[in-house]
Amino acid sequence: MKLLLKFIFSIIGILLVSGLPILLSGLLGGELQLAEYFRTISAVLESMWPVQDISVFNYRIQKEMPVFPNILEYISYSLQILFLALGAAVFFALTFTVLTMLLGERARDRVKMVLYFLESLPDLLIIMLAQLAVIFFLEQTGILISSIAVTGANRIYWLPVSCLALLPMIQLYRLCMLTFQEEERQMYVELARSLGFSKTFIILVHMFRNAVISVFFQSKKTVWFMLSNLFVLELMFNLPGIMLFLRDNMMPQIFILTIFSFFLPIFFLYSIGEWFFLRRLRGKEVL
Amino acid sequence: MWKQPYFVIGFAILAFFLIGSFAYEWFWGNVPRQVRFIMENGRAVEGAPISPQWAYPFGTDQFGFDMLGKLMIGAKYTIIAALAVAALRMLIAVPLGYMLGTYLQRHRSWVSGLADSLHYIPLTVFASFLLTPVLWMPEGGFTNTIWERIAIQVVVMALLTVPIVAVLVGSEAAILYQKEYIEASRILGASRLRIIRKHLIPHMREKLAVLYGQQVMETFIVLAHLGLLNLFLGGTKVSRDPMFGDPPMSISFEWSGLFGSSFRYLHGAPWMPLSPVLFIALSILAVSFMMEGYLRSKNPKVKKRSLSAKKEEVVNWNRSQLREKMVQVKDLHDM
Repeated sequence: MKLLLKFIFSIIGILLVSGLPILLSGLLGGELQLAEYFRTISAVLESMWPVQDISVFNYRIQKEMPVFPNILEYISYSLQILFLALGAAVFFALTFTVLTMLLGERARDRVKMVLYFLESLPDLLIIMLAQLAVIFFLEQTGILISSIAVTGANRIYWLPVSCLALLPMIQLYRLCMLTFQEEERQMYVELARSLGFSKTFIILVHMFRNAVISVFFQSKKTVWFMLSNLFVLELMFNLPGIMLFLRDNMMPQIFILTIFSFFLPIFFLYSIGEWFFLRRLRGKEVL
Repeated sequence: MWKQPYFVIGFAILAFFLIGSFAYEWFWGNVPRQVRFIMENGRAVEGAPISPQWAYPFGTDQFGFDMLGKLMIGAKYTIIAALAVAALRMLIAVPLGYMLGTYLQRHRSWVSGLADSLHYIPLTVFASFLLTPVLWMPEGGFTNTIWERIAIQVVVMALLTVPIVAVLVGSEAAILYQKEYIEASRILGASRLRIIRKHLIPHMREKLAVLYGQQVMETFIVLAHLGLLNLFLGGTKVSRDPMFGDPPMSISFEWSGLFGSSFRYLHGAPWMPLSPVLFIALSILAVSFMMEGYLRSKNPKVKKRSLSAKKEEVVNWNRSQLREKMVQVKDLHDM
């Protein structure tokens, strides 16, 4: 019930946003065009209805093209990249966290400091350096590790995915470290240690289960951050994804379609996760 | 705060960019020096764009303008814009957040649901969706001045994530409201405004400072992303000449424009797009240094206390010492 309410409010929010350019240009003209704003939103909604009929003007062939079913291909490519990167980021962040937790206090602080400042690198720099590195490697050895832009039908995966995964990984790592260190101060860790369990066992079996839940609830912001990065990534690698499609067709209808293509999977992922974790948590705070 | 090396380093970097930017314009005007080619022994060795070397640490662009000069002139626009966007956002969002936490407690759930929808819209896409009509030069030139456009852009970018920040502040405030001392002061008759002024603001000062730093960093990144989309700070000059159209150009030398207009040269002249991004990265790093320094100055003892707690002295007595002490204790009892 609560989830349904949240779902509806999120949809309303997205719809309200899609009409904002009208409101903004009205404000620039010096008047608040609220009526116009709501009329645009309802017009956009009406034009959305038979979803198959939405079409965009394609400059290359100078013809109106229906959006469906071509757009599904773009969406699936974008989502593949996004979720592969998210998976990789989560996996490596957790691995590194466990490894760092096994280190001593002093070394842990140093590792944290370095990664903390790495986090402030802009994604653009990372992508550009990755592309230059591939070219440099090609010039030196003649081996093309991965192509740096999509041309034609071949799709590239691992280079964009690793570029996209790097920064979220560092963010998640920081989040994990904070939670794990918080968890380390709990009584049950002390109890387990006094019972003679090894540090590795405690971290992997006891703390891990509790920390992951808390990390999951805080990771939403990281996913949001990844969406922005995905946009830049598609532009710079020329990936035929939904973001690039949106850039070429900046229309409210396409905007809504794009946002929904991310909103639905991410919302369901989080809802299922929330349901799953909350069900397990109920009654027993600590595992 | 000023004794923390991290804070001082971060502050020095930002101050260097800002003061350097104004000084450069003061001394050399707002056109960087231009070199078309480098002569060596009476022969032209290298034409523009010139690669980085001692005289031109960041090379020159395709017209021979010194990159370092361009970057220094542009520094003030980008940095001040980023600081202003974040400041404006906090100024709007923090009172809203307090109001949400104080007066609208009951409505918090649906307001946060509405704000939550923004978490599915990539910030850059959102910004470009809103700013394209403002910044892209219309047919026949802009009708408003560059300062008007910069002001509009700053306001729009500030408003973008106001709901998210406000909800964040509101939920922090709501957590504080459940604390006992706030309840105590409410029972004693403190008004809501007084609670905000005397309890909430002092309590959240550090969190708000960190939030401000994060907003500045985020703004830098969004500005750079917008540059990639050819939406530059203060508007994009578009040449509509079908034959000899110039590429879209930034009107000022601000960094996102320097990056966005030269991104195509990444493989031919990598210093042209790389150096603005490097400067942006340095500024972001400076802000994060300042945040770290500030936090350390506010709670300096956290680390030391946790270390000292572990070093409890363990007294090792051998058997004879133990007996001696025991005898002493026994004597004390007997007396």
